[in-house]
Amino acid sequence: MRPVKTFILSLLFLACAAASPVAIVVSPDVPVDEITFSEVRKLFLGERQFWNPNLRVVLLMRAPVAPERDVVLRTIYQMSEAQFRQYWISKVFRADVSSGPKIVYSTEMANDLVTAIPGAVAFIDAAQIPKGLKVLKIDGKLPGDKTYPLR
Amino acid sequence: MGKRACWLPARDSVQKRNLMPRSLTLPFELRLASTFLLLSVAARAQSADAAKQTELIQQLLQRIDKLETRVTELESVRPAQLVERAPAAAAATPEIAAATPAAGAGHDHGTPIEAQTSYPSLKLSGFGDINYSASDQKGTHSGFNEGQFVLHISSALSPHVTYFGELSLTARTDAGTGSPPAPGFNAEVERSIIRYDQSDHFKLSFGRYHTPISYWNTEFHHGLWLQTTAERPEMIEFGGSFIPIHFVGALAEGAFSAGGLNLNYNVGIGNGRSSVLSRSGDWGDVNNNKAWLTTVFIKPDKLYGLQLGGSLYRDKIDATGRPEAYEWIESAHVVWTKESPEFIAEFFNISHQQPGSSVVTNNQAWYAQVAYRLPMAERWKPYYRYEYIHTPLADVIFRGLNLGLSGSTFGVRYDISSFAAFKFEWRNQNRPGLPTINLAWAQTDFTF
Repeated sequence: MRPVKTFILSLLFLACAAASPVAIVVSPDVPVDEITFSEVRKLFLGERQFWNPNLRVVLLMRAPVAPERDVVLRTIYQMSEAQFRQYWISKVFRADVSSGPKIVYSTEMANDLVTAIPGAVAFIDAAQIPKGLKVLKIDGKLPGDKTYPLR
Repeated sequence: MGKRACWLPARDSVQKRNLMPRSLTLPFELRLASTFLLLSVAARAQSADAAKQTELIQQLLQRIDKLETRVTELESVRPAQLVERAPAAAAATPEIAAATPAAGAGHDHGTPIEAQTSYPSLKLSGFGDINYSASDQKGTHSGFNEGQFVLHISSALSPHVTYFGELSLTARTDAGTGSPPAPGFNAEVERSIIRYDQSDHFKLSFGRYHTPISYWNTEFHHGLWLQTTAERPEMIEFGGSFIPIHFVGALAEGAFSAGGLNLNYNVGIGNGRSSVLSRSGDWGDVNNNKAWLTTVFIKPDKLYGLQLGGSLYRDKIDATGRPEAYEWIESAHVVWTKESPEFIAEFFNISHQQPGSSVVTNNQAWYAQVAYRLPMAERWKPYYRYEYIHTPLADVIFRGLNLGLSGSTFGVRYDISSFAAFKFEWRNQNRPGLPTINLAWAQTDFTF
């Protein structure tokens, strides 16, 4: 039985490791606890630019090659890296926004800046969420839920 | 140290927040290494006793700790160092490099991070294109053509106030002639807009715009690199007379979720066309009738990529050499913004009526463009566009301009890099009463 048990555990491990949820975190002053997936998309597309009239959304993006960025490009933007770049250049050129997302280079940097910048929103590996950051529920689900969309 | 596999025993302070069952994620390298180690355990477990297993597990845990430390180190490496260490990631380097503070402002898809935003925060970017064309039209010559040199400026002046500007330099055909000699390039302030953003629902701006009654006119502006094709549809070409390309005045805009439809609006008032049909009233209005416009479009949540909209525009034209006339423009657009496929279609109806007359003439134009980013060769994007313009002979405003057209454009776009492209086009144009024209066009365009 031992080899069978070990094999099953191995499969279980692989299943767990394959799913990499990404959490949407916001600065504590953001007056939102839960949003829909469509609203997440609007945030990351720069179509929703205000949390409220006094608080502007500040979007933080991980630099390329981060696995979390891949998840966000695939699930939220549904774009390749090249399409993503063109999207933001075009958006600034249309005068929709004055600048694109701000780039962060590590989870720690994202955590620090989300805490420091009012209205900031970022995505980070759900396993590395520090205390004090607000994690947004998406369609009522947290990153640990099976049907959480960002994985 | 912040990651654990779900099959490992619980340890100290690993799970910083109880959001998921004991860290479901691991970096790929760690997953791979751990899996091999686990399988190794499985092979040995059949012959080893319990004590050896415990020792082995301890060794494995220590090794996982080392791997985790290594992963943490790698994740904290600055992008410039990543580029040096990983040539395979070269495709991503432009954005990384642009995003590093040492590289300056960079492009606006990724700006250097600053916890404290300073105002004004000027950002500059540009577009350019170089063309080669050959045609069977009599009297024309094949050759290179320097396209527009475009600078785009944006600057946040406060959290709620932003300035946008667009300058173009265009080569003149009469350069060096006349007295004094005409300069080589025309400089033009294409857009100059100051905007106050009250919220997502209401933004108020003043300035010179690309008239927001056409999807193409407001989506691509003078950045040819942004559009799939080498040239714009003729009905909205720069310097054209069919629709008013520029608009000087005030504009209110905003968006509402509208039950997932995402309703966007523009309402504007301005000077309208000047005494020259193709130009806006930059220096002032030619009459006391202000032009006004309204545009509405939706982007439904459930059909991400779809945009549907329409516009109304009203003006009184007082152009040199033409009678006064009221102008109504109705337009509609359907766009699928994704690239496989991409689809853009627009329709315009322009009505003219002289004051006191009951005669109304309608001028119609439309185009439909389809493109497809090839999945197996993503740098290639073939496209086709058909465009049609009809102006009746009785129209008092467009009479003599010979705007009528039935034309096809075939082409392919090849993206040299993330910021530059080649485009090769063949065009076939038929105009009423004139010979058919075939035109070959090659273009390289870019953003910088």
